[in-house]
This record gives sequence, structure tokens and C-alpha cells, in this order.
Amino acid sequence: MTAKLKDSLYPVLFALGFLILWELAVRLFAIPMYLLPAPTQVVSAIDGSLWSHTLVTLGESLTGFILANILGLVTAIIFVHSKPIEKGMFPLAIALKTTPLVALAPLLVVWLGTGYSSKVIASMLICFFPILVNSVKGLKAIEYEAWELFSTYKGTKREIFWKLRLPTSLPYIFSALKISTSLAIVGAIVGEFVGANKGLGYVVLVSSYHMDTPVMFSAIIASALCGLLLFWVVGLLEKKFIFWTRSDDL
Amino acid sequence: MTTAIREQTDSAAVRSPGNREIMLSLRDCSLSFGNVPVLNRVSLDVYRNEFISILGPSGCGKSTTLRLMLRLLSPEGGGEVTYASPDLSLGMVFQKPVLMPWLSALQNVMLPLELGEKKKFSKKEAREKAESALRLVGLQDFLNHYPHQLSGGMQQRAAIARALAADPTVLLMDEPFGALDELTREKLNFELLRLWESPETSLSSIVMVTHSIQESVLLSNRVVMMSPRPAGVTDIIPVPLPSPREAGMEELPEFHQTVKELRKRVKHL
Ligand SMILES: Nc1ncnc2c1ncn2[C@@H]1O[C@H](COP(=O)(O)OP(=O)(O)OP(=O)(O)O)[C@@H](O)[C@H]1O
Ligand SMILES: [Mg+2]
Repeated sequence: MTAKLKDSLYPVLFALGFLILWELAVRLFAIPMYLLPAPTQVVSAIDGSLWSHTLVTLGESLTGFILANILGLVTAIIFVHSKPIEKGMFPLAIALKTTPLVALAPLLVVWLGTGYSSKVIASMLICFFPILVNSVKGLKAIEYEAWELFSTYKGTKREIFWKLRLPTSLPYIFSALKISTSLAIVGAIVGEFVGANKGLGYVVLVSSYHMDTPVMFSAIIASALCGLLLFWVVGLLEKKFIFWTRSDDL
Repeated sequence: MTTAIREQTDSAAVRSPGNREIMLSLRDCSLSFGNVPVLNRVSLDVYRNEFISILGPSGCGKSTTLRLMLRLLSPEGGGEVTYASPDLSLGMVFQKPVLMPWLSALQNVMLPLELGEKKKFSKKEAREKAESALRLVGLQDFLNHYPHQLSGGMQQRAAIARALAADPTVLLMDEPFGALDELTREKLNFELLRLWESPETSLSSIVMVTHSIQESVLLSNRVVMMSPRPAGVTDIIPVPLPSPREAGMEELPEFHQTVKELRKRVKHL
């Protein structure tokens, strides 16, 4: 327990040291605020609106994240059960993956407007590929002997799926979820850049017009914290669900 | 060659007292993987109440032969795998433990009992069967441990328990004790014999792949020898030891003679 406490103390200490250095540097070298605001200036730029913008972005990315992962998993299950569909659709999925989201985002806004849905879809598009690829890989990663075991004891296709394929794929699924946490936020913010009147992306954009760097910093930091929060939650779930492998302590 | 096999099969059958009912038989089974021939016209009958060991060089097709018996693989044209009855209950211990890492030892052993369209056992029955099977292999204190919390030998014992729990009539074992230390191995050998002889279990025949000549002689009624790939059954050697087998039989001259005989034949392969 004390070791654990110590472990979590290190990053806190480092972050604190970094902030102090940053503050000192800004004051010592008299760096102008529009270039690099000191931490204290960033903190004083935070008001209640930042919180609501953060909630907007978090809501968009979380919705996109969840929908993309459900959709990706279902698609993977279909792929694993049907070779023709997999062969036919996988190139499409790759094409989707290689198209830059930034190029698609304006189209999404044209189609769906400047509201919630265009950001959710942007977030979904970017999260879809990792879960698809990893689930397909995970669902196929069963040991040959395990399959033989199920066959020997007359396991049905359904049982092989629920009792063998799905649990085998869990570690793969979780590694996709971890990758997607930060991607989901990127998706939502790119969507907000293109057309929005709320959200952290919107705040960053508007504050850049006004050279309001402290506000910009506060929004950037808030978006980073959103990513961290999602990552942390997914990490906790992973530890709970995949107790049988030692996690790589990420 | 064929006549030699016939002779030996017959003499073994004469030795095995009375009952000659065939539980499972392979007839002229050949098998290739791609264009690599692995099995070449393998024929073997497994009788009721007999313990067969299969000896052969690594990679010759022993595991493949067991897979044929399980009907996980089918023989090429002309070959045939027949069971005494269509619902013959087969158990299998694989070369690797193949435990599900997300299931506890108990849940792993219960797994085969709960598979299949028709429910074989109620949850409670399955649990009781699994518990007693785990007790049999000495894992009664580890019911709720997960595979990653068990040693390699304990994992293999859990795999044996899993095969036993399903009440097999014919038990196929692929080097079940290969990963175990000498002491545990010896203990489990006799446990296995006791189980096989016990009238309480439905276990009637055992086919075990092993690399140990001593083990094969000590345990089995007949030792099947396979040649290198493409493998066939080259010899079936009856073991003239009295049953039930007991500890100390390794000292009997018959034991030494059979071991010597097998050694000689292994060299000729
Ligand atoms: N699924 C497979 N695909 C291709 N070749 C295979 C396959 N399974 C087995 N073989 C080949 O068949 C041969 C026999 O394999 P098998 O596993 O039956 O050997 P074995 O006698 O059990 O060996 P060991 O004692 O080392 O376990 C080997 O040469 C192996 O390369
Ligand atoms: Mg083998």
C-alpha cells in the first residue's frame, strides 16, 4: 500500500516541479502572456464556462467512443463468421481509415449541421478502426487445442463464441479501447474546429482569434485531462475484467 | 509385417481375460497434412477394459492418431474410425493443459459438463462431479484458484480432472504426465490405474501416449509402437504383468524383459 502511494506520488511531484519551473521561467524571462502564460495566469483565466465546454466535448467524444466500439465489435463478429463479408468489406474499412478525418469533418458539418451529431460521428469514425481490427484479431486468436476441447465435448457454435472466442478477445478489445480514448477526443475537437458554438475545440479556436492564450491553454489542458480520465476509466475496467494477465503497467 | 501384427494382437487378446468387446477401432487410417504424409494405414482396436500405451518418436503422428480417435480429424479414403456405440463417451487430456485463464480450476473442470445442446448435468451435479474429480488429482484446496495461480504440474492435473469429471468410457491421454516431476508422476500413474480398475467409474479403456518406456510397461496391457513419419503401427507388444498393477512391479523380471524388448524395438525403428 505504501509502495503504491509512493508510486502515485512521483508523477505528482514531477508535475508540481514542472509547474513551478514554468512559472519561474515566465516571470524571470518576462515572457509575454500571448506567447506563454504562466500557470497562475492560466488558472485565473478559468471560469464556469470552461467546465460546461468540457462537458460538451466529453459528452461528444464519449458517445462517439461508445457507439464506435459497439459498432466495431459487432462488425468484427460478423467478419469472423463470414469470410465473404470480411473479404468484401475490409478494404472499405481500410479506405475509411486512410481518409484523414480532417478532410471529412467539413462534410460531416455540411450533412449534419454544427450540433452534437457531427462531432459524435467524427469521433466514431476515428475510433472505429482500432476496435474493428483488434476484435477481429482477438476473436480469431483462440488456441487450436481450445477449439478442439470444445468440439470434443460437443460445444455448439454459440458456446464456442460466448465461452471461448469472446473471453479470448478481451485483452485485444481493451488494448483497442485504450488507444481509442485519446482518439475519441481528437475526433470531437476536430469536429468542433470545423463548425461549432461550444466545446473545447471551439474555445481553442475562438481564443486563438483573440490571442487569448491563457484561455487557450486552459482548454488544451482540459482536453488533455478528458483524455486522461477516459484512459484511466478504461484502465480500471481492464484490470477488473482481465485479471489473468499481468498488465503492462501503462 | 501385417501378419506379425495380427499375431501379436491376437495373443494380447487371448491374454486380456474374457471380454473382447471392441470399444473403438481405427481401420486403415491414412492422413496427410497438405502433401506431407503423416499416418500410413494405421489400424488399431481398443478393447473394453484395456489400457493401451502408444510409443513412438517425436513428430511421428501420435497426437494425430488420438485426434482421429476423437473424430476431430477424419482419415483419408479407405480409412475408418468406428465406435462401439454412437454415443460413446470419450475424454481427452491434451499435451498442453488448455485451461481457460478466465475460469477458476473448478469452473474449468465444470466446462465440459456444461457444453452441448442437451444439458448433461444440472449446475449442482456438475459442481459435485468437478469437485470430486479435483479431489482425485489432489487439487481440493485449489478449487477457486485461476490457472495463472497454479504451477505447471497442477495445471496438468486440473486438465486430467476435467477429462475425468465428464465420466468418459474411453479416455485418451496425450503425454498427460510429461510436464510432471517423477514423484507426482508416479503417484498419478497409480491413481489413474486405481480409477480405471474401480467399478464405480464408467471408465473402461485408456489410450495413453507416452515417451516413457517404463511408464508404458507399468501401466498398460498392450504397448503400441509407431514408426517415424509416415507412421504406421509397427508392433503391438503385450505386457505380461499381472493385474491389478501395483507399486513394486518394476522389480519383476517380466517388467525388465518387456522394457528390454521395447528398447530393442525402438532402436530398430
Ligand atoms: N495441423 C497440422 N498442420 C500441418 N502439419 C501438422 C499438423 N499437426 C501435425 N502436423 C504434422 O504431423 C506430424 C505428426 O504430428 P503429431 O503432433 O501427431 O506428432 P506426435 O507424434 O504427437 O509428436 P510429439 O511426440 O512431439 O508430440 C508432425 O510432423 C507435424 O509437423
Ligand atoms: Mg504429440
